[in-house]
This record gives sequence, C-alpha cells and structure tokens, in this order.
Amino acid sequence: MNEKSISIEDVVSLPLDPKEQKKAVEEKVPCVAEGRLKVYDPNNNNVKKFLELLKSRLNRSVVGSMTGCIHCGMCSEACHYALARPDDPTMVPAYKGDQIRRIFKKHFDWTGSIFPWWVHAGSPKNDEDLNRLKNIVFGTCTGCRRCTLNCPMGVDTAVLVRLTRGLLTELGIVPEGVFVVSKDQWETGNQMGVTEEEYLETLEWMSEEISEEIGDPNFKIQVDKEDCDFIYTINPREVKYDPRSIGQAAKIFYYAGESWTMPRFGWDMTNFGLFSGDDKLGGYVAKNLYEAAKRLRAKRIVISECGHGYRSTRWEGYNWAKYAQNIPSESVLVTLIRYISQGRIKFDPSKNPLPVTFHDSCNLARSGDLTEEPRWLLKRVCTDFREMFPNRADNFCCTGGGGALSMVEYKPLRMEVAKIKAQQLIDTGAKQVCTTCHNCIDGLGDLIRHYKLDMKVVQVIELVANALVLPEKKEKK
Amino acid sequence: MSEFLKILENEVQLVALAFMGTVYLLRLLWMFRFKAPQDFSYGVGSSKVGVAYSMMNVAMPWAMESVRRNWSFYLQFVIFHLGIVAAISATFLIPYWPQLFEIKMVVWIFQISLAAACFVGILRLIRRISKPALRLISSPDDYFSLVLMTAFFASGVFAVPNKHTASEWPLIVFFTMTAFFLIYVPFSKISHYLYYPFTRYFLGKQLGHRGVFPRKRGGEKPAGLE
Repeated sequence: MNEKSISIEDVVSLPLDPKEQKKAVEEKVPCVAEGRLKVYDPNNNNVKKFLELLKSRLNRSVVGSMTGCIHCGMCSEACHYALARPDDPTMVPAYKGDQIRRIFKKHFDWTGSIFPWWVHAGSPKNDEDLNRLKNIVFGTCTGCRRCTLNCPMGVDTAVLVRLTRGLLTELGIVPEGVFVVSKDQWETGNQMGVTEEEYLETLEWMSEEISEEIGDPNFKIQVDKEDCDFIYTINPREVKYDPRSIGQAAKIFYYAGESWTMPRFGWDMTNFGLFSGDDKLGGYVAKNLYEAAKRLRAKRIVISECGHGYRSTRWEGYNWAKYAQNIPSESVLVTLIRYISQGRIKFDPSKNPLPVTFHDSCNLARSGDLTEEPRWLLKRVCTDFREMFPNRADNFCCTGGGGALSMVEYKPLRMEVAKIKAQQLIDTGAKQVCTTCHNCIDGLGDLIRHYKLDMKVVQVIELVANALVLPEKKEKK
Repeated sequence: MSEFLKILENEVQLVALAFMGTVYLLRLLWMFRFKAPQDFSYGVGSSKVGVAYSMMNVAMPWAMESVRRNWSFYLQFVIFHLGIVAAISATFLIPYWPQLFEIKMVVWIFQISLAAACFVGILRLIRRISKPALRLISSPDDYFSLVLMTAFFASGVFAVPNKHTASEWPLIVFFTMTAFFLIYVPFSKISHYLYYPFTRYFLGKQLGHRGVFPRKRGGEKPAGLE
C-alpha cells in the first residue's frame, strides 16, 4: 500500500491537449460548428471571457460558498486526496476551492478588490494560469462532496469545483477526454457514442437470450411502446460493455409481470454535464429523457444502477433543463424493493454465498437519497453481507467519480489516492464489492487490479437476478 | 471615570456599531442581489427539516465525521465562541450595567471564559502556523483576525473587573480594540457568521429536499417498501 508519491507539479503543469478539438473543427462536427461545444482559441481573450462567465454564473448559494470558508482546515480530514497525500498541502479541499475563490474575491468582493494580498485574492493572468486551474479542478478532485458534509460552515467545495469546470469547458480548456465524451453526448445523445443501430441490436440480442432462458418465445424487450408503467433508462456502458445487466433487469421485470419499455431515443440516463460543469449539455441530455417519457406517456421513469446517472436524472437534470418534474422518477433499486415487498418476485439468498460488502456511490449517498435501499436488498439476496466502514454518506469515493475515468492523464494520481479505498475494501474481508454505479465499477475495478486485491465488483441487479427463484412452469426449459 | 473613557465606552462604540450595522446591511443587500437557485424536481424529504438540521449542525458534533474524530477541536470551538459571547456581552454590560461587575462571581465567570478563549486562540495560532496545509491556505487576514481575537480576549480578562478608579488603561485598551473590531470585522473573515446562515440554508434546503439531511444512520425504512 506504500505507493511512491507522484509530484503534484507534474500534474498541475500538464499541458492542454487540443488535438481532438482541432479534429472536431476540421470534421465540422455539428455541436462544435454550431457553438454548443466550445473549442480552445488562444486568441479569444480567455481570461476576460472567464471573468464574464463567472459573473454570469454566480448565484446566492455559490456566493455563500465563495465567502463562507474560514480556512479551518477541517476538510483536510475528509478528502481522500488529502488523506492519501498528507505531506501535500495542495490536496486540501479548501486550497482547491481557493483557486476560484481568490478570483471571486479579486473581482467581486470588497476587501479582495482593494487589498488583494490581505485575503489572497488574485486573478489568472493568462491561458497558462487557466490551464493550471484546469488541472486542479479536473485532476485533483472527484467532486465527491465528502468535504462539503464535513465542513462546519456548509461550504460546498464540490459546487465550486464544478462551477470552475463549467467555466473552463466554455473556453475549451478541458482535458481531452472531457471534450471527447461531451462531443459524443451532444452528437449521439449518449456519452459513449452508441448508434441507434447498435442499441437496438443489443436489445434484440438480450431479448433472444432472455427469451431462451425463461422459455417464453414471445418475450421481447419493447422499444418505444406507449402507455407503459415505466420507461427503463440505462447507462450506455451497459450497451457497450455489460449488456447482461439489461438482460438481468429484463428478466426481473418479466417475472414481476411489469409493463415497461425502453425509448428509442432519450434512453441515456448518464450525463457528462455533471462532470464537465456544462449545464447546457446537462439540460439537453436530461430533457431528451424527460421528453421520451412524455412522448411514450409513461407513468414513471426508472433509472438503472448508476450513481451520477441517478443524480443527474433524478435531481440535477430538472434544474439544468429548467423542466418542472411531471412524473415520478426512481432508481431501479426502489422498483426491486417494491417487487419483493409485494411478493412479485421470489429469491433464494443461498445462490449468493460469497461474502459481499457494499460501496456507497458518492452521488447516491451524499447527493441523492439512496443508502438504505441497496442494503435492504443485499441483506435479503445474499447470505453474507458485510458493512464497510465508514459507510453511507461518510463513505470514501471509489476514486473514479467526477468523470475521472475519462481523464487518463490523471490516472497515476488517482491510483495513488485510491489506497484509502483499497484499505477500506481489504478491511471488510469480503470477496465481492457491490456497488450501484457504473463509474464505481470501473473505479473499483482499476484499484482492485492496481492493489492486487482478491475481490470482484458486482451490482445489486446482478445479485438479485442471480438469486431469483423461477416459478415452476418457467423452470421447465 | 475620565471624560475620554466615558466617550470611548459610549459614543465611540455606538458610532462604530452603527458603522458595522450599515456595512452588514449593505453586505446582505449585496448577497440578495444574487439569484437563489430553484429546484424543479419532486422531493423525497423536507427542505424545511433539512434547513433546520443544517442550521443546527453547529450544535450536533456527532453529525460530522471530521468532528467525531476530533472532539478536542470541537471543544476548542465551543470555548472560543463562548469567549466571543463573553467579550461582546462585556462591551455592553460594562458601560450600561456596571453594577454587575461588582459581583465577584460574575467577574470570575467572565475572566475564566475569556482566559480559556485566549488560550484556545493561542492553540489555534500554533496549529495554523505549524500545519503546512493550514499555512498554505492562510491569508494575512486569517492570521490577523486570530491574533486580534486572542488579544481581545486577553484585554477583556483585565477589563471586566471594571476598576477604572484604580487604572483606566485596561478599559481603554479593551474599548479601543472593540471599536476597531466593529469597523474591521465586516471586511474580515470574522464576519463568517453573517454567511453561515446562507451556506447552511442552501445546503440544508437541497439535501433536505433530497432526503440526505437529516443524515441516515441505518435502520431507516427504504423507499419502495409498501
């Protein structure tokens, strides 16, 4: 667990790589050509633009967090970056927040504008300073909000980090991965660039597999069916890398006798706007989904297992899109609890005998409302559930949050600070770590490989599907 | 009592207080110029309960892990802020209810509170200087405010016996510092109490709406259970 500490200077001085941006301009990618997604322009007077954008994005809540920090340093004991690198003072959340706070103080606050040196106020001088800011807000914080909940003043550093990310995104001063994923989501409506053909083929494939498994030749995942009880929305990662999870959900819905469908468009419940700080992208993606539910006259939106996807679709998306919620939206975990409590599905926990622990996704535990639901399910469908400590809203980030997985340049630092999470996992003695988030699957997977832990990552739906007891007639096949 | 001390304890304080009040009022108006964020999603919890929980956070040391793991820091916080209450009270009580300080027990209570707060102030200063992370984030205002508060507590220890017949100096120092404070505070980090309701309100409102506040400790009924 004794990782060699990497130099923070190497991280914050990483240069901007606009290769993909140039390519998008040359290829006249619509979202770039139409100005929805900005590219870096060194002749743009970026510092001035940055300050104008900052002025336009300030609201009372943000200003509170800008002015409220008393530099008590309590946040240093909450952040996994700071805890994993105790000798690096730049990892303290207050320091990261100060990078935007000092600009705010210089330009919008009395004392800072008159006596900047007295309160450490200052302004970025050039694009190099903005690039350094980019590396701090994208590379040294996953926006997990653990510091927010541990701040006596209630300062929301994660909100300041996201705000800064959003300002830099408007200038194209972003890590390459952030640009690429944003472009894909603008262009295809999903963040992995899954084409409609690919999506429908995957659903077709899963329909065939499940149909054979349950012995019902008429079974088919319905696409764009109107007037169903709910639309099921998923993470494009499920289409690309883990279609079994779609099949598992379909199988459970089948046995529960559910009326459900998947929309042809507007099915991606993930939202890169949460990570890039781009509210326009956030609103666009969320609205696609809400409009799909409206178009299909669904009574509910059910969101598959995903931390940031749930947070974006269930909570933030309505605000980004300024879309008054008109039908309920819920996590598939809640749907599963309903089935079990109504006796619509039966299960046998002995089918999941391996010791399992649960990792709370930051977006569900600190920015959402789901901490008891996964535990309720796991305690019923597994024989050996072991709590991780700390847990719920005190849990540590998997280190893959905040879009970190798309920013490969920061991976060495991410792996170094992952030792906090790795130790948490080791202490449980479990052989499986269950999580309800696709980012966490990859984040935990990375650290399990890096620290060579004897453990695999699973999701709740996988364990529920595995424990299903099929009705007699269906088992004949 | 000399005319100078009389004016210092009364007119000067009132003018400084009026100045602070005016600046705070302007500051609040400035804060309210910024739009409050709106929430368009259905809630699962109560924003009002969330706000109340968030505001009361200061009195719930068990609610934050950072405090649970560091009880002495919370104790220091309590002592320091009780010292502030004692010092501010003394600035009003000495000129307008001087008889109170003829009671020895009252003087002792004030002196102990102020001396303890002064001690905590010194500890905090040592902490701020010795920890690299705190040194990095600390501005001159952070140091100055802490030194000023600590000195203010110390001056209060000598002022509260209110023996102007013996020597007026402790009172002159105390009230001069008070007047300076009233003028300086709105421009310094000491005015954080003005922002506390804002940060706590918005955090509580959002997290109450989402059912995160009050914090769950396990055993709560999950959603979906009929």
